[in-house]
Amino acid sequence: MEITKETIDGVVVVSPVGRVDSNSAREVEEALLPLFDSPAPVVVDFAQLNYISSAGLRVLLLAARRSKATGTPLSLAGMSTAVDEVFKISGFAKLFHIHPDRAAALAAVTAA
Amino acid sequence: MSRLETPALHLTVRPDLSEIGRIAEQVEAFCEERGLGPAVAHAVNLSLDELLTNTISYGYDDASGHVIDIELAADSGRLTIVLRDDARAFDPTGVPEPDVDADLEDRALGGLGVHFVRSLMDEVRYQRTDGHNLLTLTKYIDT
Repeated sequence: MEITKETIDGVVVVSPVGRVDSNSAREVEEALLPLFDSPAPVVVDFAQLNYISSAGLRVLLLAARRSKATGTPLSLAGMSTAVDEVFKISGFAKLFHIHPDRAAALAAVTAA
Repeated sequence: MSRLETPALHLTVRPDLSEIGRIAEQVEAFCEERGLGPAVAHAVNLSLDELLTNTISYGYDDASGHVIDIELAADSGRLTIVLRDDARAFDPTGVPEPDVDADLEDRALGGLGVHFVRSLMDEVRYQRTDGHNLLTLTKYIDT
């Protein structure tokens, strides 16, 4: 799957494109988890993601645990209706800093 | 042989995770044709994805010669989905509910997929017959 990564004002923004399911979750895991070895805050921008399953949530849970362990901040942004529903049903919404869009996430992270 | 009287969509799935994207496209097209809307399409796709992922990842001792059969039909306010496979016996209705209020450290990921199915579907019925798992999901729809 396509995953774009860019650095904006010292924040690493990761944008998975399309679907994160059991077939593609490993690619997201490989792109995301190493970022927590560096101090630069991480924003995962879901604006181009229209689908996530429990396999994708597993990767985000691992990322949140790494974030807590290393102190590298993690925020999520830009959830579609479908992605938002999955975060709510799973109770995962309570475990993350979630912002309506990338700009709001960047503002919150750089102000911290 | 058909398990639903009038299956509107019949899918045959190889036990390979790469099949899930293809199934999603066909389910989306089916729901759009029937005017079922994106929320119903998402409920069906997420449920099928989670169930297929379980079956494909843990259901077989060998990967050859197996197929998973899926039928969908929508009428009289009900969308019915029947999954049939010859994988190891697995009753998703017997899976304990995960604690969705647990904090980061105590979060278990097991059971989350089945929790989605239960949350998004109105009825889930399991039978084991003739060496096959037969799972019938029903979602109430406005038609």
